[in-house]
Amino acid sequence: MHWIAVRTAPDAQAELADVHSALAWWALRFTPLVAREEDALLLEVSASERLFGGRPGLLLRLFDTVPVQPVHSTQGETALLALGRLRAEAPEAPWQALPLQALAAARAHLPTLKRLGCHTWGQLQALPRAGLARRFGADLLLALDQACGMAPEVYPWLQLPEVFDARLELSAAVETAPALLFGARRLLAQLQVWLRARQLGVLALELLWELDARRSNTQHRDAHHTGGHYGQLPLRTAQATQDMQHLQRLLGEQLAQVTLPAPVLYLRLRSLQTQALAGESLSLLPEDQRKGDSLHQVLERLAARLGPEQVRRVQPQACHVPEEMQRWQPCTQGALPRASVSSSASPPAPHAALWPSWLLEQPQPLQQAQGQPLYHGVLELLAGPQRLESGWLAGEPVLRDYFVAHSPGAGLVWIYRERLAVPDAGRKGSADAPEGAAAHGHSKAQTAAEAGLRWYLHGLFA
Amino acid sequence: MTALAPSTPLNLHALPADVWHAHTLARGQLPVRASGHAALDAQLPGGGWPLGALTEILQPAGVHSEWRLLLPALVHSGPGPVLLVGAPHLPFAPALAAQGLDAQRLIWVQAPGAQARLWATEQALRCAEVAAVLAWLPTARSEQLRRLQMAAADYSKLLFVMRPSGAQQEASPAALRLQVEPQAAAAPVSLTAAAGPQPPAHGLQVHVLKRRGPPLAHPLQLPARSARLNLLLASSQAHALDCRTYRA
Repeated sequence: MHWIAVRTAPDAQAELADVHSALAWWALRFTPLVAREEDALLLEVSASERLFGGRPGLLLRLFDTVPVQPVHSTQGETALLALGRLRAEAPEAPWQALPLQALAAARAHLPTLKRLGCHTWGQLQALPRAGLARRFGADLLLALDQACGMAPEVYPWLQLPEVFDARLELSAAVETAPALLFGARRLLAQLQVWLRARQLGVLALELLWELDARRSNTQHRDAHHTGGHYGQLPLRTAQATQDMQHLQRLLGEQLAQVTLPAPVLYLRLRSLQTQALAGESLSLLPEDQRKGDSLHQVLERLAARLGPEQVRRVQPQACHVPEEMQRWQPCTQGALPRASVSSSASPPAPHAALWPSWLLEQPQPLQQAQGQPLYHGVLELLAGPQRLESGWLAGEPVLRDYFVAHSPGAGLVWIYRERLAVPDAGRKGSADAPEGAAAHGHSKAQTAAEAGLRWYLHGLFA
Repeated sequence: MTALAPSTPLNLHALPADVWHAHTLARGQLPVRASGHAALDAQLPGGGWPLGALTEILQPAGVHSEWRLLLPALVHSGPGPVLLVGAPHLPFAPALAAQGLDAQRLIWVQAPGAQARLWATEQALRCAEVAAVLAWLPTARSEQLRRLQMAAADYSKLLFVMRPSGAQQEASPAALRLQVEPQAAAAPVSLTAAAGPQPPAHGLQVHVLKRRGPPLAHPLQLPARSARLNLLLASSQAHALDCRTYRA
């Protein structure tokens, strides 16, 4: 048996929500036998020494990864011995020389023992056992036996919670949402300790905050407040991660868009979805170590600040109407673009060389002069028509003749002429000008009919 | 006194290799990516687009020749994604796929304000997997561009910033500045009459405004269309001509 007793130093600085449980979770990575005794933590490590390459290897790993700095620690063959050395601040002292103050069971009897001239564990053990038991009770004798390894030690062993759920009382009421990040940072650090102990990566988590009940506006409802005393902010990431930097940045972007109806006193963070995380394999070769963030982190950061609708990638569609051939979807939906996507390349359509590389989201109606379309000058038709019709099933029917045209100011453009110009143009005209009366739209349709067919700009060759 | 007077004319070739001769292009400092246009490569320092430096492309309003200019380099820039920040229109994926660019690599980022665009561009540069960043920053100031230039240099990325021609007079930290404009076309032909027998000469004029090396006096001529489109247009012209002669 080999025991380690650990206690945080009084001047320890930790950006953690709860130092004691964080320390226990850290210890549970190395051994399942972890117990808390007053302010100290007891670890029994003899069974796991082999896994970490012997006792020196284990100790090295143990104190390399400790979440709180600095900590005091001592070792011993029994838990009470390690604890006694920690209390006496004498890591190397033999057990007989330890003072009686360092034994918890003897503390109640200290004045009596002192009058007996008994100051150390060795002197206590030299006293007759029967008399000691009569005078001070069996507890002291048992503790002494346990400290010397004569009696077995059993503690309530600590366990790692299945789900992370931590609370933090803020030192002052927080009025603005971005300032919640300072508290949330401690909770995230705590989460990181838990994730490392469980060897998990987090996929989804939730930050909750409790509003000051005296000033809480219970009527307030928005995306984050449901009208109660609590507000919540869910946070998702595409790849399971233990990297708190990324989550912290995401949280910062999200909190910047939150308005608090009342000051916040408590924060709570809980994990919603986690995933087993394999260890990261490191490469020896310098070229494999690429500098920078990973793509999904960057995209999530962009989506968090700009909105998910603003970061899009293309989804090809099987349709022959140009605007339906591609759908630009938010990156958060579906998988991210793979590194090698050569397999997905389908043979290009036969007309693809006649298509422009820029497509206008909405076809732009073109001015006309003497029946000729204008766009940065008079357009000159070079190729076409390419006739295109969509089925009546697909909603608005599309009947168009596409042309490749040259504009003196803008180079090659892709324009089309609607074949059913008169009714369509009338409808569009009235839709474009909602303030205009129906008669106005009608007259517009008539002018369009007089002018002939309407032209639209739909793409640019670049 | 005699020591100060040059006894022999200065021999350029005798100078150490790292002394740059002002009449030649700078070589070898930056890694480059071939632009795919032989005429352009010949005039760019190192023979291609600089990796890890800002390339500024100035275009008149309404002209968007980015794809024509950049597509060959993007096609061969590896499997990493290409981020478009603040693009003026939607890229038409099937057409780009036909020219060899896998559309799955494109990520389209729309940012509402100038500050947001700069931020998004910088974030994109800081990504390890991104192959190239194309940003449309019409109102960016010199110090903001400098920041992007630093980020591109730190992470060794292809960075192209598209700006209006009006920005030509402003100072720029870009390592390479190009001005692109479509070549003046022939006189417009009316719709009702058949198109002229000679298709007007369409080309891209590329002025190299700034590069590491001597200024370029004459603009470069690049074809404004892909070879396949040219073929289709030519055949379409020929067809129209045939119809006209037949009718006559």
